Amino acid sequence: MLVARGVDEEARQLQKQGALDLWLSCQGQEAAQVGSALAVGAEPTVFPAYREHAVALLRGVAPEELVAQWAGRTFCGWDPRRLRFFPYTLVLAAQTLHGVGYSIGQRLQGLEDFVVVYIGDGATSEGDMSEAMNLAAVESASVLFVCQNNGWAISKPAEEQMRTSLAERARGFGIESARVPGQDPEAVFAACSKAAAHVREQRAPYLVEIPVARIHGHSTSDAQEVYRSREDIAQAKAADPVSAYAARLSGLGLVDSAWFDAVDAEVRELRERLMKEYA
Amino acid sequence: MSTVPTARLAESINATLADLLEQDPRVLLLGEDIGRLGGVFRVTRGLRERFGADRVRDALLAEATIVGQAVGMTMSGLVPVCEIQFDGFTYPAVNQLVTQAARIGDRWNGQVSPSLVVRIPTAGGVRGVEHHSESNEALFARVPGISVACPSTGEDADQILRYAVTLGSPVVMYEPIRLYWRRSTPARDAEPARSPTAARVVRRGTDLTIATYGAITNEVLEAAHALSPEVDVEVVDLRWVAPLDMATVLESVSRTGRLLVVHEGSKDVGIGAEIAASVAEHGFGALRGPVRRLAPDRRAYPPADFEKDYLISVQEIKDEVLVMTK
Repeated sequence: MLVARGVDEEARQLQKQGALDLWLSCQGQEAAQVGSALAVGAEPTVFPAYREHAVALLRGVAPEELVAQWAGRTFCGWDPRRLRFFPYTLVLAAQTLHGVGYSIGQRLQGLEDFVVVYIGDGATSEGDMSEAMNLAAVESASVLFVCQNNGWAISKPAEEQMRTSLAERARGFGIESARVPGQDPEAVFAACSKAAAHVREQRAPYLVEIPVARIHGHSTSDAQEVYRSREDIAQAKAADPVSAYAARLSGLGLVDSAWFDAVDAEVRELRERLMKEYA
Repeated sequence: MSTVPTARLAESINATLADLLEQDPRVLLLGEDIGRLGGVFRVTRGLRERFGADRVRDALLAEATIVGQAVGMTMSGLVPVCEIQFDGFTYPAVNQLVTQAARIGDRWNGQVSPSLVVRIPTAGGVRGVEHHSESNEALFARVPGISVACPSTGEDADQILRYAVTLGSPVVMYEPIRLYWRRSTPARDAEPARSPTAARVVRRGTDLTIATYGAITNEVLEAAHALSPEVDVEVVDLRWVAPLDMATVLESVSRTGRLLVVHEGSKDVGIGAEIAASVAEHGFGALRGPVRRLAPDRRAYPPADFEKDYLISVQEIKDEVLVMTK
């Protein structure tokens, strides 16, 4: 989570300096991403949306590779096949149908068919998401949908986007689901482990909805101060899962300052590599 | 007029699909009602019984689902051949085709080469209700990354399908509804195509070239036969509208000096415009007169009672040729 935060912060800086064209920050969503990615393990193939930077790093995407497409160098900077972390898809929810189709295709060939599809709350309004949930349900596809609900579709608040939770909507399609707060990576890990076990044992889909707080705008081009109250933004920052979890581990005596120093050194090195490559 | 008995298009495609399923375990079919029913035009009749419901898959009634899951299947190494039920129902799948299927190869830096075929019954003349008689091939012809085929015979459909499943990028193939079960069609020269993507000169002539494709190729041939020997028309069946085999068209025009483009899709910003522009750019010196287009006006396909007014008739083709050669 600390590494993801550092890389994200460096990418934001690089964008401000004009070295990146755009950056979609994942700050505030690290616990949801790290908890879910660790829970499912290395075997499933991940179909991300475009903000799953912490998942990408966990899967072995190097920071330079992660940032390459936002610097206009490529459409995908990493090796999707080797990492089983497929390219970001910028057309909202299009990847949900790919994920289900991939899982069906893998099952037909007797191959690993566990797929994790990431999606944001805004994208769930797209028809492809509803179609993908229905397809996954009727085909009983081994697909875990992870919906990070950061409360905003750019400027449209969640309460104006939907009348039910995503977890409730999934059940309407015949997909079992859970809703777990995204501040605590351990709670996310526990819920996603249960979900992953369901997908593996039942060979059926599952949806986990994870409410998270969006610390920055939708993208570096988005001035969230225009539509979001100062208190709301302050609340999101106060609920920062990274500092909260660091403080908790520290308070429990599970990590010490030497450990933090080591992580800091790692982050510093990664940031320097990014600066060298892009600044 | 010389017509000859012809293998029925639907049966030819059925045989080709069966052979592809037989030869290549990666191939599977996906479409609405293609399994139990054999498709609304019975093109896939008997295939589910023969190859099983896993490989001849009755899809949900959702076109984006069909193409979207097919894109995912290509990522897993399969070769899906999708069927859209009618041309006018293609639109819900356009996002998946245009922003996804067409771009996956580039997005993956070549690591995925999606061989993905979308078969679409097309064109009118069969008293279809709204949305059942359209010709929207020009829409996809504009999309980089998608190849668009418009065969007018079973033999060509067979060659195109066999090529399409190996291409490594998506192919949309339009199949003329009114030819599915036709038993006889105007005679064609037996000249083979130079390659699976090449146009085919289906009638040799000296006075004027007609470039055309799809179902209306038969009306063009009928007109050409009727005008002979007074006017000797060469007919080029393009077979593909993206990419266009302009070499064959230009070579023909260099001999005849005149070009008429005939198609059933509406005229404005259509395939004919692209061909006319290419000939103006690269074959102007050979022209003895202006390039002309014969295609429906820019309006929606009408209710069946009025489709005769919409469609290009044999008589109109003959009249146009006579105007251009007089």
